[in-house]
Amino acid sequence: MKPLVEIDSLAVDFTTPDGVVNAVRGVGFKVEPGEILGIVGESGSGKSVSCRALLGLLPRHARVGGRIVYDGRELSTLTPAELAAVRGRQVSMIFQNPSSHLDPLMTIGEQVAEPMKFHFGLDRRAARRRALELLEVVRIQDAGTRMNAYPHELSGGMKQRVLIACALACEPRLLLADEPTTALDVTVQAGILRLLRTLNRERGLSMILVSHDLGVVAEVCDRVVVMRGGEVVEQGTVTDVVRQPRNAYTRELIDSQPGRLEMSSGRHARPAPLLEVKGLRVRFARRGGTVAFGGDKTQGIDALADVSLDVHAGETFGIVGESGSGKSTLARAVLGLVDTSAGSIRYDGRALAGLDKSERARFRRDVQMVFQSPYDSLNPRMRVLDAIAEPIWRHRLADPGEAGERAAELMDMVELSPALARRKPRQLSGGQCQRVAIARALALSPRLLIADEVTSALDVTIQAQVLRLLARLKEMRDLTIIYISHDLAVVRRFCNRVAVLKQGRLMEVGYTRTVFESPSSEYTRELIASAPDLDALRGGAVPA
Amino acid sequence: MIDATAGPAPAPRRPGTAEIAVGGIILLGWLVMALGADWIAPYDPNAIDLRGILGAPSPAHPFGTDQLGRDVLSRVLHGARIDIWMGLVGVLAPLAIGIAVGLVSGYFGGAVDMAMMRLVDITVAFPFFILVIAIVGVLGPGLMNYFIALALVAWVAYARLIRAEVLVLKRAEFVDAARTLGFPHRVILFRHVLPNALGPILIYAWTDALLVILAGASLGFLGLGAQPPTAEWGVMIADGQPYVIQAWWICFFPGLAAVTLGLGLILVSDGLARRHQVDQ
Repeated sequence: MKPLVEIDSLAVDFTTPDGVVNAVRGVGFKVEPGEILGIVGESGSGKSVSCRALLGLLPRHARVGGRIVYDGRELSTLTPAELAAVRGRQVSMIFQNPSSHLDPLMTIGEQVAEPMKFHFGLDRRAARRRALELLEVVRIQDAGTRMNAYPHELSGGMKQRVLIACALACEPRLLLADEPTTALDVTVQAGILRLLRTLNRERGLSMILVSHDLGVVAEVCDRVVVMRGGEVVEQGTVTDVVRQPRNAYTRELIDSQPGRLEMSSGRHARPAPLLEVKGLRVRFARRGGTVAFGGDKTQGIDALADVSLDVHAGETFGIVGESGSGKSTLARAVLGLVDTSAGSIRYDGRALAGLDKSERARFRRDVQMVFQSPYDSLNPRMRVLDAIAEPIWRHRLADPGEAGERAAELMDMVELSPALARRKPRQLSGGQCQRVAIARALALSPRLLIADEVTSALDVTIQAQVLRLLARLKEMRDLTIIYISHDLAVVRRFCNRVAVLKQGRLMEVGYTRTVFESPSSEYTRELIASAPDLDALRGGAVPA
Repeated sequence: MIDATAGPAPAPRRPGTAEIAVGGIILLGWLVMALGADWIAPYDPNAIDLRGILGAPSPAHPFGTDQLGRDVLSRVLHGARIDIWMGLVGVLAPLAIGIAVGLVSGYFGGAVDMAMMRLVDITVAFPFFILVIAIVGVLGPGLMNYFIALALVAWVAYARLIRAEVLVLKRAEFVDAARTLGFPHRVILFRHVLPNALGPILIYAWTDALLVILAGASLGFLGLGAQPPTAEWGVMIADGQPYVIQAWWICFFPGLAAVTLGLGLILVSDGLARRHQVDQ
């Protein structure tokens, strides 16, 4: 069978003020009719650029070389009109952030109907009828009424479904999906991936799925292209690539998958509770209304409701949940960054509410946090070394000169080159920034370290490095770690015990093994089932 | 340790450099002329020569002479002192008040914020220039009273800008990090929040300096600012107004001076703004 798309020695150059950047070099792959091709790679690998080159979606200063053949016709030989027909009707694309691709002032029904009026000349009523059918195809419940909703009334997953419906409107033969589930919760992601597979099976829709997540690719795709630094390093069927990777980088990528990480979760915890949370409730004033006057707390929403748990000294305690589960709020409540409405938090046997000034200072040294966004958690105007040294001399643990020396030692401990000491955060990579944040948190020799989604903004190989670093530091400095994450695979490898939160309520808490092998709540079961898993290859079937 | 050594190097060329350089040269030139007016100016700015009134520009008097025979060039140079001084003080005083109010208001919020912002609302409800004129009118004409009026009125713009920045910054993770590290509010405010909030305010301040100078010149023109015989550009233009048909140079050269000084300020402000945009 003739391939639907054939890309050969594709090269994309960007002209920037600092010279020409080769974003992509010598890239070649094929998409057979009816197959789902995965392109996997980390940030800067050129996976999105390759995909966009096909649609002509690159910025004007990009130069594209090589051959792109669609359905037997080379795109560079087509007239602009023919090209527009291919790109408008035969190939559609969906994106990572559906919100920015939907018009906020148009109902979703109109948005899906619009391209059909334009391309097929359907009248308003026919287009609307067709739009309703499409919204049902993408499994929007109660599509008839939802058609009149505006994008802001829908959840992220629903918006992505609407965007898929828009993409299907012109009955394309090829769908390009660029990180379609990256911004979504794992249970929602599972639904979208299921939908993509169904569309592929039932309509014979070919797809290119671009993703940083090998697990997602393995669940959906037949074949996979692995990219790095603008080049294809390996391609083949998913089963072959995952089971017998030939390229060293592919192997590193696979070994970095959280499910594959070789990591001991550390010594068994001493059963003494270091942190006790009892009946904790955090209530936020409802948005809108009278927030300007301090908000009405009785009309608020509970970010956390009646949460009780203990964290033992020396353990790694995982807190898992989707967005809105209250997992970060819990961390912020422990640190006193948000006010609690009810319940108590005890640290080392003492209630936080009753600490006097010196005990409070002691607590501030003992409990530290590493935040989610590598760049946002560092003062952009402070040099790396100064940022790490600042807590040391401000707490009068050393004079500024000595604090600088200790900061240099800390940089060494988190495996940062001394050459970076005088850089500002902006001049570092995400992984490096996160190491700086860890070093700063360790500067006061804390006993409890709270890590809130510390690796979710990082590439998977960097994530593996940071996790190994945390595991090593935990042993070395006898830390207790609270690890907050949406990623079950990481928590499973990394934590001794785990708590599962949903919408501010504690679903269950227990030893990681028990929770994962015999979850006691329905929600935990769903969460575990939704997580993409490399070892549960569902793709791999060669297209018929 | 792949990511510990690699990383983007510092950018070699920063945008806005050309604007800042040209604007800076103009401003520096004016500063030198203002400070060195005593040596550069060919005549005493207040020396009256009734035999040479309304003299057209000539080798002896390159910018001509005014209705009292005073050398316009010398007066423009000495006037620069007053006008630059006006821009400096007229910006720094409101800036200081605005920063203090904006920081406290934005960071602590609550009742303090409410009170401060209502005060801001009341102040901005009046047209800026009318309010300045009214205050100067009550206090009496003169430069000092102009500064007082400015400080009372112009701080609101700075307070609002700073407050808006602080509201965003206090939710930044590095501010949370500073709190979890146990830093006192004072340290968080001045070391972590303020330096990051200053960018847009400083850009605005350069433009504001121009407005302050022009407003001061206008007050001079109205007789409410610097008082004659002080050489001040606004006063000079006011003095030359009745003679503008016969002796255009009396008004033209102080006006040209104000325009070039303003150009320098705008260029620097633009350059800083472009640089700030890239930094974000």
